[in-house]
Amino acid sequence: MPDDKKNGTPVLQVRNLVKSFGDLRVLDNVSVTVDAGETVCVVGPSGSGKSTLLRCINLLEWPDSGEIILRGERIGFRKNNRSREVRMNDSEMAHIRTRVGMVFQQFNLWPHLTAFGNVTVSPIHVLKRPKQEVEAEADALLEKVGLEDKRDEYPIRLSGGQQQRVAIARALAMHPDVLLFDEPTSSLDPELVGEVLAVMKGLADEGRTMVVVTHEMGFAREAAGHVVFMDGGKVIETGSPEEFFSNPKTGRAQQFLERYR
Amino acid sequence: MVDWGIIANLLGGAVTTLWISSVSIAVGAPLGLMLAMTRVWRVPVLSQAVAVFVSIIRATPVITLALFVFFGIPAMGLTLSPTVAALITLSVNTSAFHAEIWRASIMDFPQNQSEAASAFGMTRLQAFRLIVLPQAWRASLPPMVNEMTFLIKSSPAIAVIGVVDLTRTASRIAAYTYDPLPPYISAAIIYAVVVFSLVRAQRVIERMIVRRYGVL
Amino acid sequence: MIDHFVRALTQWPLFLDGFFNTVWLCVFTAVVSLFLAMLLVVPLMSRLLPVRATARLVVDSVRSVPFLLLAYMAYYCLPAIGISLSSWAAALITLIVYNTAYFAEILRGAWSHLPPQQEEGGRAFGFTGIKLFVHIIGPQLFIAAGPVLGNQLIQVIKDSAFLMVITIPELTFRVNQVQSILFVPFETFIIAGCLYWVLCNSVEWMVRRLDQMAELRRAR
Repeated sequence: MPDDKKNGTPVLQVRNLVKSFGDLRVLDNVSVTVDAGETVCVVGPSGSGKSTLLRCINLLEWPDSGEIILRGERIGFRKNNRSREVRMNDSEMAHIRTRVGMVFQQFNLWPHLTAFGNVTVSPIHVLKRPKQEVEAEADALLEKVGLEDKRDEYPIRLSGGQQQRVAIARALAMHPDVLLFDEPTSSLDPELVGEVLAVMKGLADEGRTMVVVTHEMGFAREAAGHVVFMDGGKVIETGSPEEFFSNPKTGRAQQFLERYR
Repeated sequence: MVDWGIIANLLGGAVTTLWISSVSIAVGAPLGLMLAMTRVWRVPVLSQAVAVFVSIIRATPVITLALFVFFGIPAMGLTLSPTVAALITLSVNTSAFHAEIWRASIMDFPQNQSEAASAFGMTRLQAFRLIVLPQAWRASLPPMVNEMTFLIKSSPAIAVIGVVDLTRTASRIAAYTYDPLPPYISAAIIYAVVVFSLVRAQRVIERMIVRRYGVL
Repeated sequence: MIDHFVRALTQWPLFLDGFFNTVWLCVFTAVVSLFLAMLLVVPLMSRLLPVRATARLVVDSVRSVPFLLLAYMAYYCLPAIGISLSSWAAALITLIVYNTAYFAEILRGAWSHLPPQQEEGGRAFGFTGIKLFVHIIGPQLFIAAGPVLGNQLIQVIKDSAFLMVITIPELTFRVNQVQSILFVPFETFIIAGCLYWVLCNSVEWMVRRLDQMAELRRAR
């Protein structure tokens, strides 16, 4: 278990992130803090910048300004030998990404590999961990998400919910410092949502550090350590789930929650 | 009355056609991949040269290319046998078509999978080796087998530069027996059998791939 | 090298002759084959099994034999069974038979992918038989299959080069003639390559323009 609870330093700190696509300012001075063992749920209307926030954290997008600090180190930049901050090169960024796990809305499993293959390929080839160790763990992870009997199936034969659970096992196999979930259940048929949320709730209860962008308010209520509400690229309100859901402070949050009553 | 001597001769010619075609594909397909990669990775200077090369070769008839190789290369001082000239011709010709086949499956590669590869810390090279290439070669199999049928059908070009393939064998037999029908019709049947088998194989492969992986 | 090129280019009348022979052979073939293919595609799509199977067998057999072999068969075998032919006639017969099969298969593919609403709509307005084909189905097939037909036309151009072996003076024949007289093989075949490149890419350019024009109509 990678998490050292409550030793003070947050696992992930996002400070003053700004990102524009052309004229559109998608992230406007966004700051978020994630403590060890905490599950942070990011909610808000579509287009509020939630996905972009996640994609900046694992460097799939490059912010225009701001800082992202993972376990005390600023990611994306390092100090060169003259102590000036220099942008990381491709292989350094690749290394950072191994510490940030990602579960995508469209699962994005690799279709030419079985469920087992999807889980083992990155730890073996990217992290260069010993094959036997990775394979044993992969079996354990697939069992954890309830798919040990689908181990040798190709993604085409798995339902959406099963694919997403494989995707979660795949992310866990990298032993990341933090797990990012980008609307993990939005592409699923309603009857498959529950199985994925159950797995995620289990991870939250175990004390994993997670950032979850979601529309599933029930999940946010039960699993979140704190909730971040975004709209129009800004963080409008944050708070514990009890505070946020029963007593939203801002007008926009109230409007947003109306939809879910 | 079946003349077994003629059949034996024709089969000998067929073997020549098949082995030369097979070697040419074995050389041309990986060569095509390398050509495709210089274009995909936009290697400066080389990728433009490859684009021109591929465009020219794809527009040139195989027989014209065969004559160019057979007469043109010795004119530069190197000697070569008809067989070597045939291998060069067919390999170069098929490599240009394979280059386009590879380029199509690699350029068309779904971005969401590349993103996932990136998100899991793979460098571009690792992503190419572990994620893109394994799928690209499977997706390329049907068009590659299709290209194989074209190669076999254009292989008689090598008869013109002196290789004793199936077509040249049939011509020879027709010439010394003064009876063109049996050898030519038999040769046609042999070619048809080979091509039919390849076409069948292509459909089977395509179905297997779709069944196992879905549409890659 | 340059002087070799110059020497080769002095034979430009021969090159031009070969080029034009190639062009008219291909154009003539394309027109006749396309027409015959339209006739052949009907039995190919017939609902009667014996008709369809026979057409299928003929088309598949022709498509699985190398063009050069077919040319030899027309040139040597037909006279042996009593049909004497000039080399030009043999060349044209080979080109036309071969490409009719290919064009028919292309049109069949396009037809089988045509939404049934097209045919139903035509029938609803009273079109039947030949009229249905000429006014409703045919144009749709050509628009849908345009690029593939264009590709086949490029193939016609390349296959025509094989005809040099039955002494047809098309481009490759003339080029080979020049190089054997002047001993400048490298340069002559480069000229040939350029001429073929111009021919094939002109066809591709034309097909792309036609496809763009068709797109505009589809978009409306």
